Amino acid sequence: MTLEIVVMIKQVPDSQEVVIDPVTFTLNRSAARNVINPADENAIEAALRIKDKEKDVHITVITMGPPFAETALIDAMARGVDDAILVSDRAFAGADTYPTGLTLAATITRMGKFDIIFAGEESTDSSTGHVGPGVAEFLGIEQASYTSSTWIEDEFVYADRELEDGIETVRMKSPCLITVLTNSNVPRNPTLRMKIDSIKKGIKTWSLADIGLKPEWVGLKGSPTIVKSMRTINEKKREGKKFKAGEMDKFVDELVSKGILKL
Amino acid sequence: MEISEIIHEQSYTRQIIENKNSYYGFYNAGSMSEFDVIVVGAGPAGASAAIKLASAKANVLLVDRADPPGSKNVSGGVLWGDSLSQVAPDWEKGPVERYVEAKGVSFLTKDSRISIDFRSKKFGEYKSGYTVLRTKFDAWLAKKAKDSGAMVVSGVTVDRLSMKDGKVIGVEQGGETITSDAVILAEGANSRIAIDSGIKKKPSDRNIALGIKEVIKLPEKTITDRFGLSSAKMGFASEYVLGFLEGGVRAGGFLYTNKESLSIGAVISMGDLRKNNQTYSFNIIEQFKEHPFIAPLLEGGRVEEYSAHLVPEGGLTVDSIYGKGYMIAGDAAGFTFSNGLVLQGMNYAVVSGIVAADSFLQRKEKGIEAGANFSNYMDNLSGTFVMKDMKNFKGVDAVTWSKSIHQTIPAIAEEAMLNIFSENGEPKKHMLKILLKSMAGRKESKKELAVDLYRMMRRL
Repeated sequence: MTLEIVVMIKQVPDSQEVVIDPVTFTLNRSAARNVINPADENAIEAALRIKDKEKDVHITVITMGPPFAETALIDAMARGVDDAILVSDRAFAGADTYPTGLTLAATITRMGKFDIIFAGEESTDSSTGHVGPGVAEFLGIEQASYTSSTWIEDEFVYADRELEDGIETVRMKSPCLITVLTNSNVPRNPTLRMKIDSIKKGIKTWSLADIGLKPEWVGLKGSPTIVKSMRTINEKKREGKKFKAGEMDKFVDELVSKGILKL
Repeated sequence: MEISEIIHEQSYTRQIIENKNSYYGFYNAGSMSEFDVIVVGAGPAGASAAIKLASAKANVLLVDRADPPGSKNVSGGVLWGDSLSQVAPDWEKGPVERYVEAKGVSFLTKDSRISIDFRSKKFGEYKSGYTVLRTKFDAWLAKKAKDSGAMVVSGVTVDRLSMKDGKVIGVEQGGETITSDAVILAEGANSRIAIDSGIKKKPSDRNIALGIKEVIKLPEKTITDRFGLSSAKMGFASEYVLGFLEGGVRAGGFLYTNKESLSIGAVISMGDLRKNNQTYSFNIIEQFKEHPFIAPLLEGGRVEEYSAHLVPEGGLTVDSIYGKGYMIAGDAAGFTFSNGLVLQGMNYAVVSGIVAADSFLQRKEKGIEAGANFSNYMDNLSGTFVMKDMKNFKGVDAVTWSKSIHQTIPAIAEEAMLNIFSENGEPKKHMLKILLKSMAGRKESKKELAVDLYRMMRRL
């Protein structure tokens, strides 16, 4: 029987390119390119490694997001994932982690049979780590968080959890959910062949109506979180000054006078 | 299953296959190739070719190593002329920065600047160019290709051309071959694929310069005021001869205004860099930026982007721009132009990309086979300014990179200007006398200067 794996991913702005607007305190994402959340790349790789070893594995990658999140799904398919579903609807806008988990859980339920769900430990653009465990709770299944590797042995799913004082190996029955640590493996690169094939194959897009949730349960309306305020930490202004190679004395004097260097 | 059901099933399956083929262009009916054309490199040459091909319903794959496509591309930053309107009529409303109304050419010595600063309201009827920021601009152009129906794949580096019996039959990546009736190589100056595939020799130092560029952020109004521009839509573009560098290193500089940033950079002789182990390339752009008459223009700016790129010099860098199953366009072929007064490349790239696409379509009309020879590309390109300029200005690099331009002339000009414009209470001399006197003081370079001046008359 086919082992059905679902990987939940999120498209995020490349964290190296995001800047915080010093006036409005909002993230300026426009300058940043969109990438697969780094931990989710590791989650995809964890799923693919099971597919490499086991017979008859089918992997579906899902995401909740705007239409342009398609590129992240195509990218995942180009690494070896079989199918992709984008859950996209205006009604999902403004969702916090609670309705996001609910939406993804409803999507997985609608998909039918599933054995293992993978997710990244957390996303770089909000860093809550809620969604993976939330989905497990909504579905009422076992879960292992912060894992570094997963394997299948005697019909059981095993996972190594990296804890502060050691590694805990857990054994679960499927269906179960596993969240994967950032950098716990090296994600494979898509090839040109697979990129072409994944573009040709395309993705499925589902709306709110497809997953059977009520509009008031999702998006901003379904979100219990209220952000009261946000502050940025002011960067310390640095004074830039140039000294020529022959001016070491001047340079040292300047450091001493500023109290940076103590004699 | 009933026979009728089987027939129905089969015809249904065939229907799907036909639909799929028409979606991905069933254009290459007689050929077994997956694509009509694979275009390697999403710069101005590659994207223009892909738009042209896809608009003609050809089945085209545009592949770029960067994601988003084109985000690793670098150039000075002015797109001259209007060639792009052939494939993107609305390009001037796209992500362009400022329209060049002020064009400068300057010699810089250690203490002086001698300039032509030409500004004209007639740069409307006479086409100049737009400054562009390539990361934005190239992504926009690649999107155009996608919207026209091309398949755009980014973030994958093609390894080499796939050859069979001396013909190019597609590209190889990760040990797999993707087949096509033709490959348009628009991979840029490095030309790693062309070199690795044995269709291009590694360029010599004489044919390659190193370009280094910074994008410096400044407020829009500051730029408009500082460069004396007539509005925030108008821009300034200038080339410089950096005649003050230590060790006789030859380099040119450029400074262009974008909407809210400046593009500043240096193009340095590769041979001089190698000869002069002490001269680090980054020092040269720093010296340019610190020049007494450049520094005030950059005042208060913040470096936002730093990049480096090879620049083809001296015309064609390949023995042949076409072969069996392939054509080479843009920088990869060496299609750049520099006479010291202007630096151009993107317009040559655009035209060569479009002509390559046209040449494929021309062959295609008569029924094409994988690995066909594209000699018509050369014929078609010979009718455009691209090949004409390559021919007419062959050897111009001997002038633009001459010692006279980089050292002797700036020094003579500085001395002459100081004599003409200073007032020291002595009787004034005729200009010719001043010039001749300045020249006479430089016996060692006199002969060289005479030769170079002659070359300049002939070649510039």
